[in-house]
Amino acid sequence: MAANPRITEDQLEALKEEAARTGRVQSRGVEPAGIPSVKPASAASYHGNPVLKPPTWTWQVPLYFFVGGVAGVSSLIALAAHVAGNVRLVRVELWVGFIGALLSAPLLIADLGRPSRFLNMLRVFKPRSAMSLGAWTLSAFSSAVGLAFVCRELILAGFGNELFLIVEWLAEFLAAFTGLVLASYTSVLLGVSAIPVWSENRRLVPVVFLTGALGSAGAVLELCGFMIPATRFIGLAASTAEIGIAIMIEVRGRYVDRPLREGATGWLTRAGAILAGPVALLLRIFAGHNPAAGDLAAICFIAGALVARYAWVGAGRVSSRDPQALFRIQRS
Amino acid sequence: MPGLGTTYGRGGATTALPDLMNADAILIMGSNMAENHPVGFQWVMEAKERGTKIIHVDPRFSRTSAVSDIWAPLRAGSDIVFLGALINYVLANGKEFREYVVHYTNAAIIINPDFKDTEDLEGLFSGWDPEQRRYDARSWAYEHCGPEGRQEQTSDCGHGKEPGCMTAPDLSSCHRDDTLQHPGCVYQILKRHFARYTPEMVERTCGVPRELFLKIADTFCSASGPEKTGSMCYALGWTQHSDGVQIIRTAAILQLLLGNMGRPGGGIMALRGHASIQGSTDIPTLYDILPGYLPMPILGVNSKDLNTYYGKHRDRTGWWWNIDKYMVSLLKAYYGDSATVENDWGFGWLPRVTGDHSHQGYFLDMMDGKVEGLFVMGQNPATAGPHARLERKAMARLKWLVVRDLVELETASFWYDSPEIERGELKTEEIGTEVFFLPCAGHAEKEGTFTNTQRLIQWHQKAVDPPGDSRSEPWFMYHLGRRLKEKARLDPRPRNAGLNALTWNYSLGGKHREPEVEEILQEINGWTLPDRTLVGNFTELKADGSTASGCWIYTGIFPEAGRNRANERESRDFYGHGWAFAWPSDRRVLYNRASARPDGSPWSERKKLVWWDAAQKKWTGLDVPDFTATKAPGYKPPEGALGDAALAGDRPFILHPDGLGWIWAPAGLADGPLPTHYEPLESPVRNPLYPQQTNPAAMREQRPDNQYANSPDDRFPYVMTTYRLTEHHTSGAMSRTLSHLAELQPDPFCEISRELAAERGIRNGEWVTITSMRGIIEVRALVTSRMQPLDVEGKRIQQVGVPYHWGYRGLVKGDIANDLTAISEEPNVRISEKKVILCNVTAGRRQKGKAALEELARQIGRAS
Amino acid sequence: MTISAFLTDATLCIGCKACEVACKEWNQVPADGFNFTGNSYDNTNALGASTWRHVMFLEQPKRLGTQITGTEDPFRWQFLSDVCKHCEHSGCLEACPTGAIVRTELESVFIQSDVCNGCGYCVVSCPFGVVEKNHEVGTAFKCTFCYDRQRDGLMPACAKTCPTRSIQFGDINDLRSRAHMRVQELRERGYGDARVYDPQETSVGGTHAMFVILGEPENYNLPPAPEVPTVHLRSAWMAAAISALVVVLVVCLAFAL
Ligand SMILES: Nc1nc2c(c(=O)[nH]1)N[C@H]1C(S)=C(S)[C@@H](COP(=O)(O)OP(=O)(O)OC[C@H]3O[C@@H](n4cnc5c(=O)[nH]c(N)nc54)[C@H](O)[C@@H]3O)O[C@H]1N2
Ligand SMILES: Nc1nc2c(c(=O)[nH]1)N[C@H]1C(S)=C(S)[C@@H](COP(=O)(O)OP(=O)(O)OC[C@H]3O[C@@H](n4cnc5c(=O)[nH]c(N)nc54)[C@H](O)[C@@H]3O)O[C@H]1N2
Ligand code: SF4
Ligand code: SF4
Ligand code: SF4
Ligand code: SF4
Ligand code: SF4
Ligand SMILES: [Mo]
Repeated sequence: MAANPRITEDQLEALKEEAARTGRVQSRGVEPAGIPSVKPASAASYHGNPVLKPPTWTWQVPLYFFVGGVAGVSSLIALAAHVAGNVRLVRVELWVGFIGALLSAPLLIADLGRPSRFLNMLRVFKPRSAMSLGAWTLSAFSSAVGLAFVCRELILAGFGNELFLIVEWLAEFLAAFTGLVLASYTSVLLGVSAIPVWSENRRLVPVVFLTGALGSAGAVLELCGFMIPATRFIGLAASTAEIGIAIMIEVRGRYVDRPLREGATGWLTRAGAILAGPVALLLRIFAGHNPAAGDLAAICFIAGALVARYAWVGAGRVSSRDPQALFRIQRS
Repeated sequence: MPGLGTTYGRGGATTALPDLMNADAILIMGSNMAENHPVGFQWVMEAKERGTKIIHVDPRFSRTSAVSDIWAPLRAGSDIVFLGALINYVLANGKEFREYVVHYTNAAIIINPDFKDTEDLEGLFSGWDPEQRRYDARSWAYEHCGPEGRQEQTSDCGHGKEPGCMTAPDLSSCHRDDTLQHPGCVYQILKRHFARYTPEMVERTCGVPRELFLKIADTFCSASGPEKTGSMCYALGWTQHSDGVQIIRTAAILQLLLGNMGRPGGGIMALRGHASIQGSTDIPTLYDILPGYLPMPILGVNSKDLNTYYGKHRDRTGWWWNIDKYMVSLLKAYYGDSATVENDWGFGWLPRVTGDHSHQGYFLDMMDGKVEGLFVMGQNPATAGPHARLERKAMARLKWLVVRDLVELETASFWYDSPEIERGELKTEEIGTEVFFLPCAGHAEKEGTFTNTQRLIQWHQKAVDPPGDSRSEPWFMYHLGRRLKEKARLDPRPRNAGLNALTWNYSLGGKHREPEVEEILQEINGWTLPDRTLVGNFTELKADGSTASGCWIYTGIFPEAGRNRANERESRDFYGHGWAFAWPSDRRVLYNRASARPDGSPWSERKKLVWWDAAQKKWTGLDVPDFTATKAPGYKPPEGALGDAALAGDRPFILHPDGLGWIWAPAGLADGPLPTHYEPLESPVRNPLYPQQTNPAAMREQRPDNQYANSPDDRFPYVMTTYRLTEHHTSGAMSRTLSHLAELQPDPFCEISRELAAERGIRNGEWVTITSMRGIIEVRALVTSRMQPLDVEGKRIQQVGVPYHWGYRGLVKGDIANDLTAISEEPNVRISEKKVILCNVTAGRRQKGKAALEELARQIGRAS
Repeated sequence: MTISAFLTDATLCIGCKACEVACKEWNQVPADGFNFTGNSYDNTNALGASTWRHVMFLEQPKRLGTQITGTEDPFRWQFLSDVCKHCEHSGCLEACPTGAIVRTELESVFIQSDVCNGCGYCVVSCPFGVVEKNHEVGTAFKCTFCYDRQRDGLMPACAKTCPTRSIQFGDINDLRSRAHMRVQELRERGYGDARVYDPQETSVGGTHAMFVILGEPENYNLPPAPEVPTVHLRSAWMAAAISALVVVLVVCLAFAL
């Protein structure tokens, strides 16, 4: 049963307590919207109850959004690096991608409850369901990046031959492609839903998630000791984008975006944006080539991107509880 | 239901629920039909769709009001003013159905000139005896009703449930004036009596604005005449008052004036309670009547022998002339061969009424330690009884208590978890009562019948075996009786004679040796003796001991072996003939002779029901005629005719000695031949009509443990009324124990107006404390426009609605509304006034434990 | 098999909650818990995993048709029994990655609990906020349209139990036309704000559970113009594709420099 935003059992318990202690209730008590009141019935919702159900996802899911994104973009970088001939970098990125892949499934399963439940999603392939597509993408990506990873390691271990190399190239191509899908489908997952703040930002969320993934992938590299122009460039680009996104949300000032600007989720969004945006950017620009500063920038960006994932999912939860958000969109 | 019984002859709803569809207007008053009879209410909704005007008059805006065309909020306990004003409206505007009134009611009859009205005696009728606090009804009788007028006629021969209770008027000598002009005739007396019940008086007393009243008056009273009818639905909102019977009388009189009785879409739908509560008055669980509404012998009044009994209750004219046939058949059913003409058919073995054995009387006696043991079967007095605090304490004074129920309910557990234990008023270790809890079988775990609100007796099959030790009522009663008889057989003291004589042989079946229920139904139906051939109609019952019948009005339910009509399910027509059996003789609309003109032709095509078929020389129509089928409309009784033969062919109310509808009740009622407005025992105002504040005959049972507030009383400024919710059932023992029902209304609450909430600083959903002279409870507040403040006698009256379903056990618990109500007794049926009490409401929860009582004492202590 | 549907009529409802209880009894759905809300007579609040029929209680400062009430200001008390809409194009079904949600031969939308894996995507994809995840069991639940009963030719429990025919069950086309006739009739009888709720013009494309209501759908928490989320697939993926391209570009540039 949907919890009424104004009247929860905890609230009532609190009232009980207070009443029991003091013999009467000082606080406002509970005031349901249903009691006839002067406000125009047209705008009124049913007792202020939520129309929609909040997302049920546990804390692992936003984390998965993040990890999947990093893993995905990392394998893209791996490919790019391979083309550019930076073999050391390829190896690290394949490691990152591979570890990301290994982490993703367990995170999802943690949300579902039982491992076997993940397999239910592989019963059918429903491209119209972002969730289904995502499940398949994750599987494909994991295999691809795994394969590339294995080949790479064998080659490095000296078992290398033509065949392995070709397979690795193919696998890297596949991993890069599916990696991109993996990094972006999660944004479509939110955008294509009934939750106002998500669906009204369906064009923005992909930008947010991919920027985050790109920047974080770069940052991870830097933390692995690759303070190279490429990562620096990626970092600068990503942070700039983050700033752009933040400004956009603030200036547009739409009612539906309130959860991104107000309350806990609002501050979370801002914190994420500030860390990944201005803070990381300034560190990079002003700290020049000081590696410590570079690392700090990287850490800030990763933190920012991670926080942003939680902020967006949280915002969805808040948005789902506000009937007016829904009504306004549908009435406009 | 003597309100209906004395007016029409039978104490039962006069019509069938589907018939409501035929009404042009339906007045629902004193009932929350949509919530408490939701399935029956489908016919009201059906009618509404057909354009019938639905009127609801109720202190609260309930789910019934929500779908009505008109809702009027009135002050609880002011119904007689409202209905009296409707009568006045009809008489003043000549809106009565003249032809009907003249022929079918006693409006034309001239009353004993000694009679004095409440208008003359400041609220009392003539015959009041202040010492004995009861009426001598002689002055209420018809003028010149034959020399053999019953001498010792007092108003309380029985409790109004019994037959006519007066000498059959020798109709030839009974004076009438068919022009209704004679100042002494009922019509004129009625006119004078209600003259002061004006729309202005309604506004002053009930708090209903006069325009609204007039709108209702016009709407309902125009549903009258040959082409139109209106019907009424009522229930506890009318009965649970110190003048409840008279409220119903007022309505009954109105329906006679409008000519709405016995006609399609007319009548009075008395909405009953438990699935078979009608059955439990037909075959009574009441102390003062025997099956079929035969009065119980009352010590010193009618109990010497059958002849004194007949002398008191047998009308020479009208249907009750047959009382001997029914009484003897009943005694034969009880005592079989032991009942002989020599021993007065065992009349002497029947117990005598020696006092007030009503629920109220019982518990007061219990409180006073006069009762040793108590069987409680299917009841929860610990929460549903009036002044439940007192009743719980009373049970603690018993030696033993047997509770048969589906669940261990409050009544069975009071000795260890009642508020009295928590508050230290009772201590478990000090309670001497030995409590036996016996699990019972639910209705799906046994077969039997329900008699529903429209007198329809329906058979229900057994679906599953009762679990564990649970047993059905028949099983328990049979085997208890069997054992008692075994004991009695060894102990020949005279007191056991009745028990020894009692017939107690039923075929037993099943692993628990269950008595055959159909056999019991056959015994109720009746059979000839000794060969036990079932009889088809009560007209076949005899006074010579050649027939036995357990309840004469049910005769015909089992007309022949293998034909259990209660179990028939082939509905043939709109009235449902073929679906089960309605007493008497499957007549669905009572007094339906009145649906035809005196000459026997229907009043109108639109409203035809039964009519005289001249060709076949008998009554026919859409219903079974509630009339001797072959008695022609023009029939005039010969000199000295007796019984039904003494009633002319145009007298539809065949149970009355004069065959008329009684606008005037010459006898049978303890508190007057006409209804008069009295204030409730606790009222926020003085009686605006008479110095006599309350019903003089009502019993307050005032005593230290049953105190009343003053009227008015500024310690308890608000009017509280109690009622039900669809989501729960009565004491809640059957609903608070089921999660799917408990979740729908988890906490006890009160409904209060936004004005009262503001006045007392109460917010919606918060806890509030309600107190009365008798108790203190805490409930949640629902602040709503459904409760409206009323302006009465220049005062702002706030009403507080409190559903009474909660108790201290079950999935959801809550304080008990009946801790606030009082033990009082309406004089005719001894129901207590649960619909109006004075209370106080304060924000916040009550204190816990002892402190709660101190808080209550403080509230009462405040200077008044 | 004809396409069955519900027509639930607020103007015939007496708020008895028999439908809500009958549903729980037949489908053995657990209680929601014993929470007093203060929302008029409604203590179950909304449809959800353990409430598949839900009766709403609206106390409004408005007049009901031509009703005369002895209240100081205009007032009406309305009841409506809400239920899963069994959408023509249903968000939950489109979202479900496991194929647990299927369209039955009765054209109703049915969750196969044994297939459902509790991913919760249907929960955020129902534009009516109907379906919900039960956290003990870990899977999603909603009205089954009494698939079991209908298969055996029985009426859904809620419709069967309704004493006033507020819940009508039958062929979808009959009910559609009946709904519009009913509203016509109600308007003539003075219920100026009577209307049919059956969003056909939006991407939902109509429902198999239609309603006759008074006033704005918002008052009943019915979305005025519900959309199936998947109508946004294109724009969302387009945005994703472009962003992805940009990412590729940036990465290439990064290594090109
Ligand atoms: N769901 C459900 N149905 C039930 C029951 C149940 O517990 N639950 N109980 C059954 C039983 S045992 C019975 S007896 C019947 C009772 O059926 P009802 O009589 O309908 O039950 P109540 O709710 O006690 O009272 C009816 C109405 O009387 C109003 N009222 C109170 N005082 C006055 C007054 O002075 N004048 C007028 N005109 N109205 C007044 C109350 O506001 C209330 O709305 O219901 C039966 N049906
Ligand atoms: N304040 C206030 N008080 C009231 C009223 C009111 O309006 N206001 N209404 C009054 C009225 S009208 C009534 S009828 C009473 C009702 O009050 P009660 O009759 O005392 O309360 P119920 O809960 O109806 O009790 C019925 C019991 O019978 C049990 N039962 C059910 N089936 C069977 C069976 O087959 N066999 C046996 N042995 N037991 C069974 C149930 O479990 C339940 O506990 O309340 C009265 N009290
Ligand atoms: S419970 Fe039985 S008696 Fe009461 S409304 Fe339902 S069907 Fe009628
Ligand atoms: S209402 Fe929601 S749950 Fe029901 S079918 Fe439509 S989308 Fe699915
Ligand atoms: S929760 Fe179950 S029903 Fe809902 S989308 Fe996921 S798998 Fe499908
Ligand atoms: S159709 Fe069946 S499952 Fe759906 S609400 Fe009605 S009773 Fe419940
Ligand atoms: S059963 Fe019918 S009348 Fe009762 S609440 Fe449900 S829809 Fe309304
Ligand atoms: Mo009752």
